[in-house]
Amino acid sequence: MKNIVLKELKELIRDGRFKIASIILLVLLLIATVTGVNQYKKNTEQYSISKTKERNIWETQSEKNPHSAAHYGTYAFKPQFALSLFDYGVTQYTGSSIFLEAHNRNEASFSEASDQTSLARFGTLSINFVLIYLFPLIIILIGYNAYTKEFELKTFTLLKSQSVHPVKLALGKWLATFLPILLLTALVFITTGIILSNLQGVAFFSWMSLSVLFFTYTLYYAVITTLTVLISMWSKSSGVSLVSSLVIWVLFSFITPKIATNFANSNHPYPSKSEFASRIAEDKQKGLDGHNPWSKAAKQLEIETLKEYGVDSISQLPFNYAGYRMQKGEEFEAQVYDKHYSILNDIAVNQNQTYKNLSFISPFVPIRFLSMDIANTSNNLHWKFTQAAEAYRLEKQKFLNYDIKDNMKVGERGYTMGADKFKKLPKFKFTPPLLSEILSENRQNILFIALWLVLPFIGLIMTSKKI
Amino acid sequence: MITTKNLTKTYGDFTAVSNLSFTVNEGEILCLLGANGAGKSTTINMLLNFLDPTSGTAQINGLDVTKNALKTKSLLTYIPENLMLYPTLTAIENLDYFTKLSGKNFNTNNLKSFLSEAGLQNDAHSKRVQNFSKGMRQKVGIALAIAKQAKVLLLDEPTSGLDPKSSNEFINLLTQMKANNVAILMATHDLFRAKEVSTHIGIMRSGVLQNYIETANISLKELETTYLDIMNFQNIS
Repeated sequence: MKNIVLKELKELIRDGRFKIASIILLVLLLIATVTGVNQYKKNTEQYSISKTKERNIWETQSEKNPHSAAHYGTYAFKPQFALSLFDYGVTQYTGSSIFLEAHNRNEASFSEASDQTSLARFGTLSINFVLIYLFPLIIILIGYNAYTKEFELKTFTLLKSQSVHPVKLALGKWLATFLPILLLTALVFITTGIILSNLQGVAFFSWMSLSVLFFTYTLYYAVITTLTVLISMWSKSSGVSLVSSLVIWVLFSFITPKIATNFANSNHPYPSKSEFASRIAEDKQKGLDGHNPWSKAAKQLEIETLKEYGVDSISQLPFNYAGYRMQKGEEFEAQVYDKHYSILNDIAVNQNQTYKNLSFISPFVPIRFLSMDIANTSNNLHWKFTQAAEAYRLEKQKFLNYDIKDNMKVGERGYTMGADKFKKLPKFKFTPPLLSEILSENRQNILFIALWLVLPFIGLIMTSKKI
Repeated sequence: MITTKNLTKTYGDFTAVSNLSFTVNEGEILCLLGANGAGKSTTINMLLNFLDPTSGTAQINGLDVTKNALKTKSLLTYIPENLMLYPTLTAIENLDYFTKLSGKNFNTNNLKSFLSEAGLQNDAHSKRVQNFSKGMRQKVGIALAIAKQAKVLLLDEPTSGLDPKSSNEFINLLTQMKANNVAILMATHDLFRAKEVSTHIGIMRSGVLQNYIETANISLKELETTYLDIMNFQNIS
C-alpha cells in the first residue's frame, strides 16, 4: 500500500493543482490567523479591562442604600475562550456581557459594533471558515480523479493485471487523498496551539481540547475523502466526478444547513421580543413586587411571616421586614424569569435538535455543533453563561437585601452601605464545562459522525472489489 | 504454462467463447488468430480474471485463475493493444511502481538494466513517458515481464499500429522471452508475425477454436489459405 500512496503523492506533487491550491490556502490561513489573533488579543484586553474597571466601579461607588446599589447594578462578562480563535461560533451575535440589576433579568449585549454595519453581511475570514469550507474543496481537488484518471489514461487495465488486491489499491488511493490534508490541518493546529500557549491572558486553553478539535476536523475530512474517492470509483469521467463531488460539497455545506435552519425555525418559532417581554410583565404582575407593600401578594406574605414568627406586627420581627420582602419579591421575579427563559431555551434546544436530526443528510451539521461546543462558542455555552450570570444576580440581590434585613432598623431612614461591604460581594466567575461533559452532551453528534465515517467506507471497500 | 479446459463465456443468448481448450507450455507461443469478435480478447480477459467464465476453467501454472487471482497475476505479465503508463512518471518510475505492486523490489540500476534488456534506449529511462511512442511503452511492458520473471505473457494485439521496425524489435523480444521458457499467448490479426514467432496457431471464429496448427508444419501461404477459408465460411454462413 505504501507504494501506491507514494506513487499517488508523487503524481500529485508533479501536478500543479495541489501546489497552487495549497499555497492559496496557506495564504488565506495566514491572513485568517493574523486577523484572528489580533481580534482575539483586542477582545481579551477589552474583557480584562472591562472586568477590572467594572469591579472597581462597584467597589468604589459612593455610600448608598443597598437597594439603590442593587439598581445601580454591575456587569457579568463572558470570558474570551482560547479556542474561539478557531471557531467564532455564535459569539459575534450573542453578546459578551450582561447588566445585572434588581428586578430585571437582562439579555446579553455588547456584541461588536461592527456587526451593525452592512459589511457584516459578507462574513469574516476565520480559520474555521478555511477549515470547514475550503479544506474539503482541496480534498475534492486531490481526489476527484483518483480512479477516473486510471480509467481515462487506460492504466487501470495494467494496474488490475498486477497482483495487487483491489481493497489495498482503494485504501492506498484513500490515504494519498487524505494525507496531504491531514498534514496541512496538523500544521494549522500546531501553529495556532503554539500561538495560543504563548499569548498573554488566554482563558481556558488546553492542548487536549485543541487535540479533540483537530481530531473532529480530521474525521470530517476523512468522510469527505471517502465520498470523493467513492464518487471517483462510480464516475465514468473526471468531469462527472468533479461536478458530483462539488454538488455534494454544496449540499453538505450550504443547502442542508439552510434547509435545517428554515425547518427548525418553522417547527419551533421564537416569540417576538415584545411578546416575550409582555408575557413576563403579565406574570410579574400576578405575584409579589418587593417595592409595593400594599399589594395583595405583599399582604399575604406579611400575614404568613407574622404567623411564622408568632408576632402581631412587622416591628416585632427580629429583622427588617422591608429587606425580607424585597428579597422575596426578587425570588418571585426570578422564578418568573426562569420560567420564561426556560421556555426560550427549550425552543432553542428543540431547534438545535431538529437541526441535529438532519445530520443524516450532511456530516457538516454534527461537526459544526461539536466544533462550536469544544471551542466554547456555541449557543449551549452562551445559555450556560446567562444562567450563571442570573444565578450571580440573585446572589448579589440576596447579599444586598439581607444586608437591609439584618442591619437596617425598622423605620430607619438614611441607612447606607459602604465600600467595605461592597467589596465583600463575591466576584462573578464563569467556568466552561469540562471537555468530558461537552463530549457527553454531543453523543448524538459523535454517533452521526461515526456513521458517516463507517457507512461510506464500507461502500468504498465493496465498490473497490467490483471495478 | 497456460491451460484452458472447455472455457466458455456467454452473455445471455450470445456466446463469446465456447468450449475453448488449449495448452501453452513453457517456451511456446500460441497465436490466436481471428476477426474482431472472434473471442480472442475475451479469452485473455478470463485468463486475467477480469471476466468470470460461464463454465470451464482457465489455469496459469496449474492454478485456477478464479480461485487464485492474485497468485496467478503475480506469475504473468499482460501487454494490451495500447499499453498505457503514468505520463508524469519516468520509465524507471513506472517500472518501479508496477514491479513493487507485484511484490518485487529492485534498485535503479536493476530497473535500468531491465529497460535496456527490453530495448529501450538509455536516454529514455529517466524521461517522463508522456511523449513515449507506443513501441517505447510496449518495451516498458516487456521490461516489466523481465523484471517480474513472468512465467506467462499475455499479449492482446501488441503489434497493432506499430511501425515495421518497432514491430520487428518487439517480435525479437518475444523470441527471447520464448527462449527463456516463458509461455506466451498472443491474440493478433497479423498472420505474417504469427507465422514468424509462434510455435502454435489457433484460428478462432465466433468464440470457437476452429483450427489448431503446429506452426512448423504449415507455410505462410497455407496458413493464409486456411485462415481465409475459415473466415469466408463465416461470411457465407
